[in-house]
Amino acid sequence: MSRAAILRIFLPNRAVDPATALFLVAFWVAAMLLVWLLSPFASLPTPVEVWRALGALWWKHGMGPELLTTIKLILHALLLTIILSMLLSYATVIAFFRPLVAAACKLRFLGLTGLVFPFTLLTGGGYPLKVALLTFGMASFFVTSMAQVVVEIPRVQFDHMRVLGAGELRILWEVVVRGTLDKALDVLRQNAAIGWAMITMVEGISRAEGGVGALILNQNKHFLLAEVYAILLVILLLGLGMDYGMGVLTNLICPYARLERVKR
Amino acid sequence: MSEVSTLGDVLLKVEEVSLRLGDVQVLDKVQFEVRDRIRVGACTGQIVGILGPSGVGKTRLLRIIAALDAPDAGTVTGLKGVQVSAGHVGVVFQDYPLLRHRSVRLNLEIAGIANGMPRAEARQRASQLLEGFRLADRASYYPAQLSGGQRQRVAIAQQLVSPKTLLLMDEPFSGLDPAALDEVMHLIVEVANMNELNTILIVTHDIRAAMAVSDTLLMLGRDRSPEGKIVSGARIQGCYDLVEKGLAWRAEVMELPAFAQLEKEIRGRFKQL
Repeated sequence: MSRAAILRIFLPNRAVDPATALFLVAFWVAAMLLVWLLSPFASLPTPVEVWRALGALWWKHGMGPELLTTIKLILHALLLTIILSMLLSYATVIAFFRPLVAAACKLRFLGLTGLVFPFTLLTGGGYPLKVALLTFGMASFFVTSMAQVVVEIPRVQFDHMRVLGAGELRILWEVVVRGTLDKALDVLRQNAAIGWAMITMVEGISRAEGGVGALILNQNKHFLLAEVYAILLVILLLGLGMDYGMGVLTNLICPYARLERVKR
Repeated sequence: MSEVSTLGDVLLKVEEVSLRLGDVQVLDKVQFEVRDRIRVGACTGQIVGILGPSGVGKTRLLRIIAALDAPDAGTVTGLKGVQVSAGHVGVVFQDYPLLRHRSVRLNLEIAGIANGMPRAEARQRASQLLEGFRLADRASYYPAQLSGGQRQRVAIAQQLVSPKTLLLMDEPFSGLDPAALDEVMHLIVEVANMNELNTILIVTHDIRAAMAVSDTLLMLGRDRSPEGKIVSGARIQGCYDLVEKGLAWRAEVMELPAFAQLEKEIRGRFKQL
């Protein structure tokens, strides 16, 4: 690497080539692993212990089926979140629904703990309860971000369609729905991450049905930290994989979004 | 030397248009009309330049003429006295907004479909305009892939998909290099002359470019007290008939001494607006 290239990675507002970007990622991963290996905390399991625990969880404790249970739950809740949140976000263009959407946005300040009881009454508990809680948790954040995206559409875009002679429904479709699709997919990526972050709490409510959230709580109860970290690592990798997949999907469905990104 | 021409029907009439925003009187009884300029043996559209300094209310007036905003008082009527309504007037906004998620071709097709044109007809019209505006090789591009000049051409073409005789342009000359400016001026004249009734209203503060393309210049400005303080909303402070002065419809008009003289006069007046 030339001196100029090295200098470039330390100067503000500079673009780097893909090879350098990959090198930087590798550097930071290696640095993190090194910090982990050299950690002075005796209670923190080593990478080798975590790796062994992962093998034991996979082969002896049936982690595969638990993962499938969790993935099914996340995807189910994500689907409901998309439907609910999109409807609410796009409803902001109608004055009548704006207070309702504003109220839905504010619900993100509520914790899930107090909501378990009313949601149990509404859903009857078990799997539907977990789906409802996860959907509520993700949707309240999704609606907040998406409603903001819709509010920030410049007025000139609506006027532009009006002077073309478009009716309000076509304007809604072209400007609000299609025009913000790439941003909606980005918001969805962020909210899928919220879903993974909430999974332990939600699956802990009804452990009988399993899932990695229940598994992690069971291991934590017995202070099996290597197992806990192994599950966390799997959740992290799954989340990253899902995030990457959604990024690829965004680029496929909305190739224009990539063109508009400015490289600094 | 003045071209032989006569005035025909009223194509646009702005009558006593006023607009107040909060405590500020933005427009104050703005009044003017555009008539069909008839030249024997030539298809001549109308190009009217509205000159005024920044912040005087030019864009507000444009939005009212396009029926995007309602004035507090006054009316805007088109041919045969029909009230102008949104969707019947083309507007090329300053930053050339396009549908960012649609290709150039689809941007044009949607402009037709939105206006009730059958899909096949819209596709055909889009193809014609892509050829006419030298955009055929950019048909599959997204707006983000276009240069400023290409984007402007698409924005103008988009307004021409459905037949509209009145086209409003907000600051079409701003931020252009000399070559692009020349190209836009030619394009405006070309579009105006596609139809005898075509009328292009250019809202700008670029005096020289407006003089070069227009047949009529209107000066929009506010009254000032002897101390130079603004005392009214904007209204039409002056009108120049460039046809009458022999400064319209000529290829090398900018090289004429009379052009330079008038430009100097208008610049002097512009400072008082």
